[in-house]
Amino acid sequence: MNPEPPTGTPRATATLEALHITKTFPGVKALDDVSIRLAPGSVHALLGENGAGKSTLIKALTGVHQPDSGSIVVGGAERRLSDPSAARDAGIGVVHQERNVIRGFTVGENIVMGRMPRRAGRIDWAGVTREARRCLELLDLELDPSTPIVDLSSAQMQLVEIARALYTETTVLLLDEPTASISAAESDRLFRVVDRLRDEGTAILFVSHKLEEVYAHCDTVTVLRDGHSVLESEPLSAHSHDEIVDTMVGRALGSLTVPDRRARPVAAPALSLVDVTTTAGHHGVGLEVRPGEILGLYGLVGAGRTELAHAIVGLERITAGELRVNGEPVRIRSLREALHRYRVGYVTENRKEEGVFLEQSITRNIAVTVWSKLQRGPGFISAKKERDLVAGYVSDLDIRISSQSQLTGRLSGGNQQKVSLAKWLAAEPEILIIDEPTVGIDLRTKRSFYELIWKLADEGMAILLISSDLAEMITLADRIAVMDRFVINGELENSHDYDSMSRDVIHLIHSGAEVAR
Amino acid sequence: MKRSIASVLRSQSTTLVAIIVVGTVLLGIASSGNFFSPIPFRTFFQFLAVPILIGLAQMITVAVGQLNLAVGAIGGVAAALSAVMMADAGVPVWLGAVVPLVVGTLAGLVNGWLVVLTRINGFIVTLATMTILLGAQYALVSTRTVSAANWAPLADIGKATVFGLPVIFLVSVVVAILVALAFRYTVTGRSLLASGDNPEAARLAGISNDRSVIVAHAASGLLCGVAALVSIASLPGINQSVGGDWLLPSFAAPIIGGVALTGGSVAVLGTVLAATVVRLVDTARAEFQLAPAWVNFVIGAVVLGTVALGRVRQVRQERRLGAERAREASSTAILEKTR
Repeated sequence: MNPEPPTGTPRATATLEALHITKTFPGVKALDDVSIRLAPGSVHALLGENGAGKSTLIKALTGVHQPDSGSIVVGGAERRLSDPSAARDAGIGVVHQERNVIRGFTVGENIVMGRMPRRAGRIDWAGVTREARRCLELLDLELDPSTPIVDLSSAQMQLVEIARALYTETTVLLLDEPTASISAAESDRLFRVVDRLRDEGTAILFVSHKLEEVYAHCDTVTVLRDGHSVLESEPLSAHSHDEIVDTMVGRALGSLTVPDRRARPVAAPALSLVDVTTTAGHHGVGLEVRPGEILGLYGLVGAGRTELAHAIVGLERITAGELRVNGEPVRIRSLREALHRYRVGYVTENRKEEGVFLEQSITRNIAVTVWSKLQRGPGFISAKKERDLVAGYVSDLDIRISSQSQLTGRLSGGNQQKVSLAKWLAAEPEILIIDEPTVGIDLRTKRSFYELIWKLADEGMAILLISSDLAEMITLADRIAVMDRFVINGELENSHDYDSMSRDVIHLIHSGAEVAR
Repeated sequence: MKRSIASVLRSQSTTLVAIIVVGTVLLGIASSGNFFSPIPFRTFFQFLAVPILIGLAQMITVAVGQLNLAVGAIGGVAAALSAVMMADAGVPVWLGAVVPLVVGTLAGLVNGWLVVLTRINGFIVTLATMTILLGAQYALVSTRTVSAANWAPLADIGKATVFGLPVIFLVSVVVAILVALAFRYTVTGRSLLASGDNPEAARLAGISNDRSVIVAHAASGLLCGVAALVSIASLPGINQSVGGDWLLPSFAAPIIGGVALTGGSVAVLGTVLAATVVRLVDTARAEFQLAPAWVNFVIGAVVLGTVALGRVRQVRQERRLGAERAREASSTAILEKTR
């Protein structure tokens, strides 16, 4: 395909139409006769549970995957997108869910990467800076193109990736879950950019699990379920929130009933932090979690929540103050000690990188924390004990698997997360720290996860829940501690009323003063 | 500007320059000034050319996230083939000089193609091609040593000097400069770094990682070929041992020079300086008449030490960032209390 000749302002517009796209992977029909139409100057929401085919569709539209059949038409001309570069030539820009930057390069180089300006066969470095600055200005970003990209926050890197998408003539912009891992303030900034690009005539596809922001910013909607489009390019205003959820999950789910947890027993704190300072940068942190209680630790990305969890389980050092387990001051030096001596489990934030062994069977994944207990003779693991233990958690947690020997990497995100949780539960912790449990998990699995966490608390486990999803926090937590810049700004009893709670939490983040209760 | 001066002072290259200066002075004292007289001085640089070239050859594969265990075997076979062609087949010397470059590039291309086509780890691929090439080298020269008399004009160039510096050393410096310029100013060079740093991001940006791997191996092979040519020009003869001791120094130079083994970075100056340090160790060994095994001992220890030191630096930096955050947090907390 020939690259489109560069055109000056005003920016060109084009409609993208994908018609009857089918894509089969070994054993799965990932997309079955899916069509979608993105019009200039509008934001189109692409919704669906995990595994519904959203990412596959985006990859088919950007030359990463080749559809088995169907056609892609941009601005009236049919395009064959043989690789990512061909998609860029066709005016299709994309920001994938994961950050895709070259960490050794500058901001500027990351923007022009793949299409370096050259002069006389050499890279034109002045041109790199000039072009990068132009793209950053399109987004109102005040970033120096010569800044090393590693100095940026994850949200800033995402904006740089949008700038990269705008570097070439982009008439269609695809955003795959751009708000999954950034704070509310950063989302606001992102949406200002999205709104502006839409007003300039860009056709935008927006993938998100957060229906509130979808309703606030999108015009049309396509819903995928199991590789089929159950709602195809329809105006969003014609469908209610509940209708959309129903089409996504395929059956009417009653709204989640929050159990009444006010009657929980009052016991002495299982885990307490007194005026703790850490090597990660925390200062004067005080927290208490009682058995049977869910304490939420809320904060924006970068507030220091995960780092605090790391300090508790011995991955960072506590330099001042006291950490107490069941009232006893302790010094935890390693995760192993945390788990086996003090019964503190830590379900890590990033399941793919820290939570599970993707290339290992489900059995191996769950039993890894308790191999010493499953021994039969020195150093040998009893396969039967291992199987029985794992079978128990598979049924308790309702993990959907075809067999115990299935590779964990083949499971959906939600089931992987359950495997990660089961691994820690197997070690029978009394205190459980759960870090961002439902990032990138579909609604149905999210609900079963919430029920599971409540059940664990009812059984007497002390739970410290870390999340940057405020709605999740207000649903799950009994109390919410708010952290900002490595300091606890205050703590709130949770009334489970979204409007008042979110107001108070946001207020706490901004004021830094304690709201008296 | 201030920042760049500070980073120069803190960089690996500065440390290496300091080591070279101190080492040279000590050697000068130990040899009572003999080290600076023309012949030892020339010998020092004459035998620095190959370490620089093979260090760069390895650096290029490491930059793209690969490695090349066959550097010595490629160089050895290229030198052997060229020597045999000139001595036995009557191939003219100018053509004989081109042969190692072609052989090196082709061998590198094959390595790259195999890695890309089979998707087998570069370690195994180059281990296998290394073994094959070593066999080929032995088949070519067997137990004989092909005398440099067969390529007298080339041997003359090998002995020639400009301003007291051997021409072959200057060749290696020119190659180093070309490599540095390629990584800085060509799209191909930047693409290799992108592929080595984050292959997925590079692919999504329209960069072909397969192409990067093939180009890196081919360039690495070409530099091995240049090293082979330099060996032909400077050694009294070519036999089956040429290239046999290249492997460790080829890794030592880039690692000590500050190249990350994880890929995505290059340090041409660092690699050249590190090769110089290794050469100093070798010279000191000769000066004090120690067994050659000591050089391996020292280089091995320095490689381990460098890797360990890099790690310590990284941990320290993380600690410092943490302490800074703690200070910041406590100062804002105090500010809010007084408010």
